[in-house]
Amino acid sequence: MRLLKKLHKWIGLLTGVQVLLWLLSGLVISLLDPIKVSGNLWVRASNPVAPELGTGVLLEPAQLSAALLKGAPGIELTGIELTTRHGKPVYRIRHTSGETLVDASDGSVMKTGKAAAEELARRDFSGDGQIVSVERGTAPDMETRDSGGAYWKVGFSDPANTMIYISESSGEILARRNDYWRVRDFFWMLHIMDYAGRENFNNALVIGTALVTIWLGLSGFLLLIGCFRRDDFLFLNVLAKPAGAVITLHDPAASVPRRVTLRKGSNLFLSLATHDINLPSVCGGGGECGKCRVRFEAAKLPPANDIELGLIPRRLLEQGYRLACQQQVAYDVALHLPAETRSPRN
Amino acid sequence: MLKPAVIARSGHKWLGLLIGVQVVIWLATGLYMVVVDIDFIHGDTLVKNLQQPVRVPDAKQLSMAKVREAYPGATQISLRPVMGKTYYAVTTADQRYLVDPDDGSLASPLDEDDAIGIARYHYAGEAQVGRATLITANPPMEIQSRTLPLWRIDFADRYVTSFYIDPYNGSLVTRRHLYWRIFDFMWMLHIMDYANREDAHHPLLIAAQISGCTFVITGLWLLFYSFSGPRRKQPQTPP
Repeated sequence: MRLLKKLHKWIGLLTGVQVLLWLLSGLVISLLDPIKVSGNLWVRASNPVAPELGTGVLLEPAQLSAALLKGAPGIELTGIELTTRHGKPVYRIRHTSGETLVDASDGSVMKTGKAAAEELARRDFSGDGQIVSVERGTAPDMETRDSGGAYWKVGFSDPANTMIYISESSGEILARRNDYWRVRDFFWMLHIMDYAGRENFNNALVIGTALVTIWLGLSGFLLLIGCFRRDDFLFLNVLAKPAGAVITLHDPAASVPRRVTLRKGSNLFLSLATHDINLPSVCGGGGECGKCRVRFEAAKLPPANDIELGLIPRRLLEQGYRLACQQQVAYDVALHLPAETRSPRN
Repeated sequence: MLKPAVIARSGHKWLGLLIGVQVVIWLATGLYMVVVDIDFIHGDTLVKNLQQPVRVPDAKQLSMAKVREAYPGATQISLRPVMGKTYYAVTTADQRYLVDPDDGSLASPLDEDDAIGIARYHYAGEAQVGRATLITANPPMEIQSRTLPLWRIDFADRYVTSFYIDPYNGSLVTRRHLYWRIFDFMWMLHIMDYANREDAHHPLLIAAQISGCTFVITGLWLLFYSFSGPRRKQPQTPP
């Protein structure tokens, strides 16, 4: 028990703040509505029926530019798809490095320009705001970290500061970001402890912290089982009449002994505290500080546990000294209180 | 009036009774999820040949124009490699087809032998196929968001691997194995969504998190009182 307590408080000191951060960041993430975080709340419903390719004369895949089909050394062709963009047949050519969009009737490479990106973003966003900025980006930033290639970054004036990212090569919407996403992303970073990339939850720091903290949990669980007694739940049985024990208190500050009746089975330290008799204590009844020492005056002394053995010299134990926080009210007994006891005097 | 230390200690004890088990579950499931490599969970070590090069059909093969003629309602036609050979994958408003570019024959829907062949082509292990099932309705939870039908190919390995093959385009839609399923179960316990395992925005979880936060705060508060061991120079005989 003593070792468990020690383990629990030292690990608590070491990782307690991170445990609170895990709980708090988890709470924030759960409070955020996922449909706002994803931006899907403000996506204008598009026509669910894909347009047909039509009957116009189109290039065969083999007629597309050889450079496009071959790619570069180390870059393989992984897919060619004939589909439509804004009603026009196009080829989407995918390589291991990215995607190129080609006009299927003349083979020209299509790129999404600034005006087209603006138009695409405006058509996608149904929220309350106008476009306030359009910028081109080439390197992925924190908000587009999952996608490669050049992109347009279209900012809106809505309250959530929505930013829509559109691929320059494919014209596809890469990401919809807003303040809900940004808050979530920050707390996700705290949750997984990946402060640089915010993505990798298999990082050494979080693994190490989790490996240490699991012992905080397990020791706490054992302590929890250990610190509850049957009598803690007596309040559930409204019919039972609690049996009392008369405790005679010898307070060095009072001239006459005082008698209180405490519920049998209850913790002596807490029971006295609820009667406004506050024994000296720093730890609050945790068996840590050893200050709530009382002397039992009885023919048969109650047994001392390992915490008391560690905090009270053997000589005093034999004289009847015990820690009130480690003792239960069991029978009528006389107690000598330490001088620092605070209680209303009569 | 109870002293703050007494309040913190009782609070920690009773809140521990209320939420302690869930906090230990959070720690244990979180530990599993951070320790086990996510790429392994995704089954990356169980598959091969995922990036298959596409071969553009030559003059002797069926042209794109012929395919468009055969499927006038097509909304999308792609070149899709299946077991190293490139097919036309056609999508119309209501169906999908896999067309052999050599003779224009329809390869889809794939039958059991085809599906097993594709699964074996992508399987990096040595084990035999244990069972093949065509799932058309009531999908298992591990593919709940996928479009049916799907072939499920089970391998007799120690990972209890299952590959899911799309009978209409021959793709390996997803792969599942024992450790993925454990991860999924852990995730369920972590976000406390016991029904669907995906929603982390619900009152039960939020209530548990608020109790958990209070519990941890009382614990941190107790730390201030808990490092106050008996002073060495204390008089040995109290009054």
